[in-house]
Amino acid sequence: MDYVLLLQRIFDALFNSAIYSSLALALVIIFRSTGLLNFAQGEMATFSAYIAFVLLAGPQPRLTGGGLAGIIPGVPFTIPLAITGAVICGMAAGAVTERALIRPLGGASDLALVNITIGLLLAVNSLMAQWWGTGPRFFPAIFPTGAGQHFTILGARLRYSTVGVWAILLSVLVLLVLLLRHTKAGLAFRAVSISPSNAELVGIRVGPTLMYGWALASGFGALAACLSANSVLLEPSMMLRVLVYAFAAATLGGLDSPKGALVGGLIIGLSQTLIPAYVPFIGFELSVLPALLAMVVILLIRPAGLYGTKRIERV
Amino acid sequence: MISVERRVSRMSAFGIAVLCVALAVIPFLTTTTSLRQASQIIVSVLAVLGVNVATGYGGMISLGHGVFVGVGAFATGYYVDDLSMPWLLAITLGAATAGIAGAFVGIPALRIKGIHLALVTLGLAIVFRPLSKRFPSITGGVSGRSIEARFDAPGWWPGDGRMASSVYRYVFCVLIVVLALWATWNVVNSRFGRSMRALRDNDTAAAVYGIDLVSARVTTFAISAGLAGLCGALQVVLVPFVSQDKFPAQESLVIYASAVVGGLGTIWGSVLGVVARTVVAKAGDAVAGFDGLGPIGEFFDLLDESAFVFGLGLIVLTFLFPTGLAGIGRKDRLRK
Repeated sequence: MDYVLLLQRIFDALFNSAIYSSLALALVIIFRSTGLLNFAQGEMATFSAYIAFVLLAGPQPRLTGGGLAGIIPGVPFTIPLAITGAVICGMAAGAVTERALIRPLGGASDLALVNITIGLLLAVNSLMAQWWGTGPRFFPAIFPTGAGQHFTILGARLRYSTVGVWAILLSVLVLLVLLLRHTKAGLAFRAVSISPSNAELVGIRVGPTLMYGWALASGFGALAACLSANSVLLEPSMMLRVLVYAFAAATLGGLDSPKGALVGGLIIGLSQTLIPAYVPFIGFELSVLPALLAMVVILLIRPAGLYGTKRIERV
Repeated sequence: MISVERRVSRMSAFGIAVLCVALAVIPFLTTTTSLRQASQIIVSVLAVLGVNVATGYGGMISLGHGVFVGVGAFATGYYVDDLSMPWLLAITLGAATAGIAGAFVGIPALRIKGIHLALVTLGLAIVFRPLSKRFPSITGGVSGRSIEARFDAPGWWPGDGRMASSVYRYVFCVLIVVLALWATWNVVNSRFGRSMRALRDNDTAAAVYGIDLVSARVTTFAISAGLAGLCGALQVVLVPFVSQDKFPAQESLVIYASAVVGGLGTIWGSVLGVVARTVVAKAGDAVAGFDGLGPIGEFFDLLDESAFVFGLGLIVLTFLFPTGLAGIGRKDRLRK
């Protein structure tokens, strides 16, 4: 076995791991507080990436002539600034989604919540296809990705972009932990996640707290989309596959555990690169299959995942 | 005991009459191309009906029924071409193959429920295209394959030429769809149909009353996938070409959306869902024809995208009419 090659593959996998971890984190934050799986998370994130794209390049004509995108004022931003802007827009969109679509439903059935998020997925997806076209767009990388831009460790190349993405992810995570542990809003959010009704009894306003949660989650999603748009190319359905990996990661780690999302993202990212490399049948394109199978197996034998809370069902 | 007369309401009778007239008139008014398109629309009722059986009656959310349509289509093409089976046998076996595939999905559905099942079936919908490319001898790989066998009118069919064959295929599809609707109506109103609904509403209580959860869930999913597979088989009858790019994940979601928008838990709802989808697509075509409206025109262009309208429709209907279009004129029977 070629250990340098193995190490190289692991290093390559780490980039995707960071993306899956942060999208999984978005899913987990929403599941933990609102109890729903946000199927539209990927499309909302992609929309944010398009916002970054518009901020970067100015209003882009669609592939076929002018369009609605033309009325969005675009100023050529620098990449970090554009991504920050996109994350802020994404957070606002997440908050609005919670306020306008989720909260009015109250504690509706699973079916109603699935309908809302699937409806959002379809609508946002075709909105993007209409505004920006379905063709893939080049999205500039935030970190240098050229030929020589890497550290060499034990003969394998660790790209600057991988290190950079992890640095961003970890620093945002530290911020999140500080926010949750040391601010009043964070305390309220933790209380609402544990028990909305009890939180309400002690005077926490549950609605706005959930709205913060959605904003945070959508921010993570937007970050994931902006950071991965360079490698997967920006197109309306780019996050659909990523969403499966992220869901697999979240399920593996436990749907209500942020730590689980991080660990799950790592494992799924590694397996997504390593399994196709050593099992020829899978290949790159079919690497979604192991993730899906992992998800099914976990849901069957250990629905709580690695770190999730076991649910005790009253019958 | 509910009498048979009361089961078919006046609204339904009126709707059936309108549909019958429309179905009878269509072949006289169109060309071969638009007759084929009409047949495809009619056939798509089956896929929506499949979702309706699993989700509306069985309570198992399926976001991946496009997969079973695909399995039905690929299998039928394989049987009729590679195994040189007669069409009727190939169609039956194609639907059955999809049904068996559905049963396999139904087995994990015993433990994976609600929102988690939605997740798994969505994953299935996304994995289907790359997976089908791995079996090029059956699916034709990336570019798809054309089916050599043709479903042509037999000698006794009046008229000849392309139009006669188109009408023949149209009549065949309408007959199969009507038969499937009738059969499904009977199934959901049978003893088994009641156990399906009992499962949907409270599986613990259903088990207490002696319903075998395992066989009921698996059978429900198999029936529902079989209906979708029949849709795929008939698609092959209409267009002798199968390709993986006809089955993107979005297609599965639009099928699901049609089922919900039409109304879950009524046979009618599935027909209504497809009618709504057709009306929306036609209206979108008409509106997209206007130019020079600026940004407003851009917005109207979106109406051309049935995925957009159905996405929006799902959200709006969930708020306003949780029972779908079929439930608008009716007291909310399904609302919990």
